[in-house]
Parts: sequence; structure tokens; C-alpha cells
Amino acid sequence: MQYFIILFWLVVSVSAQADGRTDLIRSVVDQHILPGVAHLTVSSADLANAAQNSCDPHDPALRRAYGGAFDAWIAVSHLRFGPFETDNRGFALAFWPDTRSKTPKALSTLIRNVDPVAFDPVAYRDVSVAARGFYALEFLMYDSGFSGAAPESYRCQLLRMITADLSATSAAILTDWQQLYRPLMLSAGAADNRSYQTADEAVQELFKALMTGLQFTTQARLGRPMGTFERPRARRAEARRSGRSLRHVQLSIAALDDLADLLAKQTPILGKTLSKRFQRAANLARDLDDPVFANVALPQGRIRVEVLQQSIEIIALLCREELGPALGVVTGFNAMDGD
Amino acid sequence: MRTRRGVIAGFLASGLLPRLGWAALGNPTFLAAAQLPDDSYGLLGMDADGQALFTVPLPGRGHAAAAHPTRPEAVAFARRPGDFALIIECTTGRQTARLQAPAGRHFYGHGVFSSDGSRLFTTENDYEAGRGVVGVWAAGEAYQRLGEFSSGGIGPHDIARLPNSDTLVVANGGLETHPDSGREKLNLATMQPNLSYLSTQGVRLEQIEMPTALRMNSIRHLAVRPDGLVAFAMQAQSRAGAAVGLIGFHQRGRPAELAVYPRSELVELQGYIGSVAFSTDGTQLALSSPRGGVVHYIDAEHKCYTRRIPNRDVCGIGASAAGFLATAGTGRVTVMPNGRPSYHHSYPHRWDNHLIAAAPPSHG
Repeated sequence: MQYFIILFWLVVSVSAQADGRTDLIRSVVDQHILPGVAHLTVSSADLANAAQNSCDPHDPALRRAYGGAFDAWIAVSHLRFGPFETDNRGFALAFWPDTRSKTPKALSTLIRNVDPVAFDPVAYRDVSVAARGFYALEFLMYDSGFSGAAPESYRCQLLRMITADLSATSAAILTDWQQLYRPLMLSAGAADNRSYQTADEAVQELFKALMTGLQFTTQARLGRPMGTFERPRARRAEARRSGRSLRHVQLSIAALDDLADLLAKQTPILGKTLSKRFQRAANLARDLDDPVFANVALPQGRIRVEVLQQSIEIIALLCREELGPALGVVTGFNAMDGD
Repeated sequence: MRTRRGVIAGFLASGLLPRLGWAALGNPTFLAAAQLPDDSYGLLGMDADGQALFTVPLPGRGHAAAAHPTRPEAVAFARRPGDFALIIECTTGRQTARLQAPAGRHFYGHGVFSSDGSRLFTTENDYEAGRGVVGVWAAGEAYQRLGEFSSGGIGPHDIARLPNSDTLVVANGGLETHPDSGREKLNLATMQPNLSYLSTQGVRLEQIEMPTALRMNSIRHLAVRPDGLVAFAMQAQSRAGAAVGLIGFHQRGRPAELAVYPRSELVELQGYIGSVAFSTDGTQLALSSPRGGVVHYIDAEHKCYTRRIPNRDVCGIGASAAGFLATAGTGRVTVMPNGRPSYHHSYPHRWDNHLIAAAPPSHG
């Protein structure tokens, strides 16, 4: 009898844990991912509409719509898996960093040839990702070499095509999330789920998105403009032409704070510590007063960016060493090394 | 172990040291880097049964090593993106030379000696240009840098030599990184890994590019069989790529092929293979996935998956005539003898990525 009770208790606790995992996955999908992607879709559609109304790069309504949609992208830019991965959609929205200046090269080629691909929405999906998405659009709107590029009618058409393409890509991501990927993640561990054989694998995916975001912000968004002490590289700052570099760091801190908060629901003390750390990073970013990291060339300016970078690195460390194990995801010596 | 140290000390005292070969060290079968119990790092020699023979201190976390074909001398590479590597005389633990990557280059953590032992080839990143290079070093007293040539791609990682030749084979992983942004992958949107065969002069002899479905599977590690069959292990940067395949085979002049895998075992690898090794008779291949916590065996003739051996945080894989050996971040050294059950030794070490054959006969 006692044997039976123990067995029964084991079965109950195992299934309770599985339910806890499903709840965790559901909360991240429904409260973090879907609202973020829906917002991206709506604001990208607004941007495409604004471009139809005016393709003047100085038009305030267009600039406002550009800012709104770009903000919405940054808030989901750490979600690189699933529908973002399909058909290279994530890269089609955001080709950055661009270490070989492929974006200006690809745009110049299109403009020089007055390439008719800019009139064909289906064909445009096959152009290089370097000529698609927010960073290509930024060049067209904010780089003096492109914003006044002749012939004007073609530049205008290219701008409209890039925004329409952005909007279509975002909508495709949302549709996939709603119809395919949400059911897939919520059924993680089910016998017929071929993508996530256990609920743990789905949790691992969400945890990985958090780590990816933290690493991208510290190493790319901050690390690239910082360069080295001897050779700072302010001109490598993300979206510096539209003055958005620091803003992207702030938006990503806020989005990752939101995700971490949901992932730490079952470990409230750790959740509270994380939330304090995120708050500190957000405060440091808010007080930085260096929108495109131009001050990294000066010792004082550099130190302040470094302090901000370290404040996010501490969060990544805390997530790897405490949140990961609490979620039961793999964080071994070799497993996390990545080589 | 004490006895061997005694033997070495005796040789030292008698001034016989310069003539010592690998035999004086008990003929270590493998070299492996590890984090030691006191949190420092070291390079260890190990026999085929997984017994540690000697420890040489390293200044930081190691990745892999390369053993000189005749002298008891090893190059220990720092973890990427290190800009130095140490030449260690394994009989004494003495550091005899230090390889400093030239300005604008860093090591990727792998290297290989020429068949006569006179040259060392190292995979490196020319990070401002974002291109992979192979550094060439004179493997004499001082390890002078002689030059470099293109690796044939971006992000070269493992490098090996085809048996009985000086043809190099390089796993160009395709991933661009820059020390300013740590290990962040900068070109996921455009990455295109390849397998390149190069002469020691840097002439590209053959190159295999991956098809579109595998574009985001970074080729990282290699194993070479005496007949020149190359096994290449990949690390997927996309879920879709992970589901296509992670282990391939190639023989010069033929098309590459992926190992046949049951779906659930492929998924179990979590898109990530850490190390790979052929059995000494060449009939089997063993691979490790630290993320999946598992070792898989592949039938090298039919190129298909055959069995799995769970092993948490496993990464290093090596082969001797007795069978395979696996090292793990948990400290376990697992001996997997041919046709007999596995057993393990527990060390207070955290074994790092690779087990390297100390004097591989097939690479002679």
C-alpha cells in the first residue's frame, strides 16, 4: 500500500511539473512573444502606409512611423527562432551588424541599375537581405548619400518597397506564431510534436532567447562601438544615422527584463534580484546622455559605456548560473562553451 | 604516476633529457586541457585507459592541443579568441616557446604539425578583414612565424592533415567574429561554411560548400581516417539546419554525404556536436554532444547512426586500439572498450573541449 502511495505521489509530482512548464511556456508566448510580434506587425503596416503617403525622408509622419516600427522590432529582436528563422525573415527585417558594408553596396547597385525588382513585391523577397529591412531603410532615409539619391522617383519606389516588404514579413511572422508556432510550443513533449520532444526543450529555447538578447546587446550593440581602448569605433554604433543606438540598448533591456521576469515566475527571489539588476542597467542607460555612443572616444565617455555593458553582463551571468539551473536547462562547462 | 615522475626526475638528473621521446612519459595516448581542482588550468597526458599521466600548468582556459609527431612536445591553444599558444615540453612541463599571434590575428584553438614535424599550421582570424588564415610556424627551438595563407573561408576552426601526405583539411565554420564583440556571430545572415583542402603552400586543392539547407550549420571539427575519409561535425545556428544533419563524410574527389540518422537521436544532439573521432580500425566514428549529454556511434562504412551512450556534459572524444574514450566537464573519463561495457574514472577536473591523440599512428 505504501508502495502504491509513493508511486502515486511520484506520478502526481511529475505531471505537476510538466503542467508548470506548460504554464511557463504559455505565459512567455502569450504575454511576451505574441504581443510583441503583433505590435511589430501593426507598426510595420503603419510604416508602409506612411511611406505611401510620403516618401520624403524628412516627412515627420514617415519618420515617426519609422521610429515606431523600429522600436517594435528591437523589442522582439532576441526572438530569433521559429517563425523568425523561417525563410530568413529575421535577417530580412534586420541585417546588422553589417561588417562588410553590404547594405550601402546593395542599395547603390539597385539604384545605379534602376533595378525593376523594386516594383515587384514577390521578386523583392529574393534580393539580398542586406537591401531589405530596417537598416536598409535607415540608409535611404538618414544617409545623405542615399536620402537625396537620383532619380528621385526610383528612390521613392525603393523606400516604399522596403517598407511594404517589412510589413509583409512581419505579418507572415505573426501568422506563423499564431497558427503554427504557438500550438507547437504549447504542445511541447506531446507524442506528435517533432520539434520539441519535451517541455524542457521549449523552455530551453525561451531561455536561449534571453541569453541571445543579453549577449547581442553587450557584445554587438555596445561592444562594437566601444572597440578597444586604443581604437574606439563609434561609427560602428547600431542605427547611428537615425540617432537610435542608445535607444536600442534601452529598448532591449526593457524587453529582456520582461522576458526574464516571466521565466523567473517560479523562483520569485531570483526574479526580484534580476528585476533590480535590470532596473540598474536601465538607469545607467537613461543617464548616459550619449545617443550614438560618440563619447566612447573619450576616456570618461568610454568608462560610462563600459559600466553599462558590465551591468548587463552581470545579468547574463546571473541568468546563466542561477536562472538556467532553476529552469533545469543545460548549462554545463562544455555545453555552454560553444566551440 | 609517482613512479613515472621518479623516472623523469632520474632522466633529468642524468642529463638524458634532450633525447627523451613520448615513451619516457609512459606513452600518453591523449592530451586534454582541463580546469584543475584549484580552479587553475592545465594540460594533461592520459593513457588509453583514461589514467592521467602528467599535468602541465596552463595560464588560462585551454581548448585543444596538437602533439608533435616525434618529440614529446605539444602546442596548447587558449580558448578562442586567444592570441597566444604555448609550446610545452611534456617531459618537464617546461614552456619552451610561446606563439604570439601577429597583430590583427587571433587563434581559433586548433593546429596541426606537418608529417615531418618541421612545421606547425594554426587556424587564425584576420579579424579586420573578416577572413580565415592558416598561420605557418617553424617548429624548431623558437617557433618562428614563417607566414600565412588563406584558409579558404571565414572562421576556420579545426585543421587536420590527410594521412601519409601534407595535404591540410580545414573546417571553415563560416562564422565571422571580431574580438571587440567577443564571441558574437556577426554574419549569421550570410554565413557559408566550407571544407577546404589546402597544400602546405596554401594552394586550394578542393573545396566543398554546403547546400542551402545546411548553410547555417557551422563545420567545426574533423576526424580523418587512414584512407583519407574525412568526417566533419557541425554546430547548427538554426533549428531548421539542426534537423537536416550534423555529421557528414567526405573523401576527396567525391560528393560529401550526411550520416543517416533517426529523427529523435538527431534532435537529441541539440544542434551541437563538440568532438568527433574515428576508431583506430576506421569502422566506427564516435561523436559527442555536450548539450545533448550523449555520445553517439556511427557506422563509418554505411554512414549511419548505430548507438547512444548518455554522458552528461561530455565533449572530448578519442580513440585507441582498445576503444573510445570520452572526457566530460563533470570530471568523468569514460572508457568505452570495443565490445565490452563502459566504465569510468572520476576526476576532480573539468575536462575541456577536446581529447587529442598524442602521437596518432594514422596521422604519421
